[in-house]
Amino acid sequence: MIQVENLSYTYDGDETPVLKGINVEIPRGFHLGIIGPNGCGKTTFVRHLNGLLPTTTGDVRVEGLSAKNPSDLYRIRQLVGMVFQNPDNQIVGMTVEEDVAFGPGNLALSSEKIARRVQEALAQVGLESFGNKAPHALSNGEKHLVCLAGVLAMKPRYIILDEPTAYLDPSGRKMVLDVVQKLHAQGITIIHITHRMDEIVGADRIVVMDRGRIILSEEPKAVFSKVALLKNAGLDVPEVTELMWQLQKMGHPVRTDVLTLEEACRELNACLAHAKPQSRKE
Amino acid sequence: MVHLGQYVPRVSIIHSLDPRVKLAAAVVLSVVILKGDTLTQCWITAFLLILVHASHLNLAHIRAAFRPMLFFLGLLFFLHLLFTAGTPIPPFPPWPVTITREGLTTGIFVIWQFSLLILSASILTMSTSPGELISGIERLLRPLKRVGVPSHDLALMISMAMRFVPTILDELNRIREAQTARGTCFKSGPVLRRMKATASLLIPLIQSIARRADALAMAMESRGYNRGPRTYLRELQMGRKDYLALLVFILAMGLELGGRYVLQNGFP
Repeated sequence: MIQVENLSYTYDGDETPVLKGINVEIPRGFHLGIIGPNGCGKTTFVRHLNGLLPTTTGDVRVEGLSAKNPSDLYRIRQLVGMVFQNPDNQIVGMTVEEDVAFGPGNLALSSEKIARRVQEALAQVGLESFGNKAPHALSNGEKHLVCLAGVLAMKPRYIILDEPTAYLDPSGRKMVLDVVQKLHAQGITIIHITHRMDEIVGADRIVVMDRGRIILSEEPKAVFSKVALLKNAGLDVPEVTELMWQLQKMGHPVRTDVLTLEEACRELNACLAHAKPQSRKE
Repeated sequence: MVHLGQYVPRVSIIHSLDPRVKLAAAVVLSVVILKGDTLTQCWITAFLLILVHASHLNLAHIRAAFRPMLFFLGLLFFLHLLFTAGTPIPPFPPWPVTITREGLTTGIFVIWQFSLLILSASILTMSTSPGELISGIERLLRPLKRVGVPSHDLALMISMAMRFVPTILDELNRIREAQTARGTCFKSGPVLRRMKATASLLIPLIQSIARRADALAMAMESRGYNRGPRTYLRELQMGRKDYLALLVFILAMGLELGGRYVLQNGFP
């Protein structure tokens, strides 16, 4: 479990704090979505979760360990892996396997152990045969998977994804999200920052941030039904939710807590079936 | 795709040797080549040609290694040819410069020497992948840690620099396209304007590299870098054939030294 209590943070030289009193609990095996407009502090927040930024006010505890404690810092970084937006800025190895071996190498494991972990991690993301390839010869989706494998090789319990799909085309996106789903199914906790609402409709909880605060922390259905609130914060809701919301505003009797295309079809179908006899009468 | 280094992937004895053996041999050979006389050159030439054959390299690879050095070799030859004092060779057509017998022989000797240096370095880089080469350098520098040489960091720096060459070349192309779209011309115009145009590439490039370095440092930290001593996926291990190769090489060098002593001083 990751516990965040009353976390505030101000960057050096800034006057206004970027984070203002964040409180969150992230249980093991959870899938947490984080959304919010640009500059709301999402990235700053998650960088506290593995000690990349020092906790100055408040407290962050990962499985009871505190990043304030220098002897726990590297244990926390092993437990909480982070995949950044741009894969080109996080691949350090000249070959895929060398890059995946970077993390376990930092843990000072033996060569045999590193080799085993590299193989396992590459298999987990489906890149078994990519070990000897040069990173720049890969597609963007594959580069992201290499980054994920690099994190997996450290055997983390939590993986933070900071807008992992921002640079990807639809097929690359699907490739990455499928793997993320698989990892979540294996019991790894996923903390997922995104601007694409449809990526987190299946999350256990969504945290909505705005100007350094958490303004909403609920299940996806509850979050996305507050369309007006989200729009006010400059955020979108999934397209189908928006469609239902617009229809409801026009006076149609539809529910707005609809997140997927299938749900929307069912809801509209029910609504139309209900409306049919009426139109005949007219 | 950008091809990095000169590495020629092959399955050969030379390829499979420990990079440390090859590195040490290349360094010692360079010294011997620079110190040696004609007789030394002869047997080293033969030795290197055997190595070329043993590492399954062909003439095209050797030619590719020499091509960028041809101008330098030519220059070296002519400098020695023209500026060495000695017995003049009567020129067939009346040339304005005098060419000496000594100039001709030293010229030939020096380019022979340099060709051998190039050849031995090429065999090393063509038969050793950049990764192996770096871990070899790292491992050889490790004893210097006690006097404060950060061999791990040095090795990581070299390998990351190589990893980022293609990424940065891509970036350079993107910036060039962006500046061309804004009307900058890189191919024609007065020299001064073209120099200014180049500056318009460099400044954004440096900026972007700095940004990358920042992000990269953060990514490395989040993967536990700096925790303490690191280990590697492939730790170099000297096998029997590595020791054998080292022994053969040391014997050959011993023969060279001993032989030269005998030639100069007679049998003791």
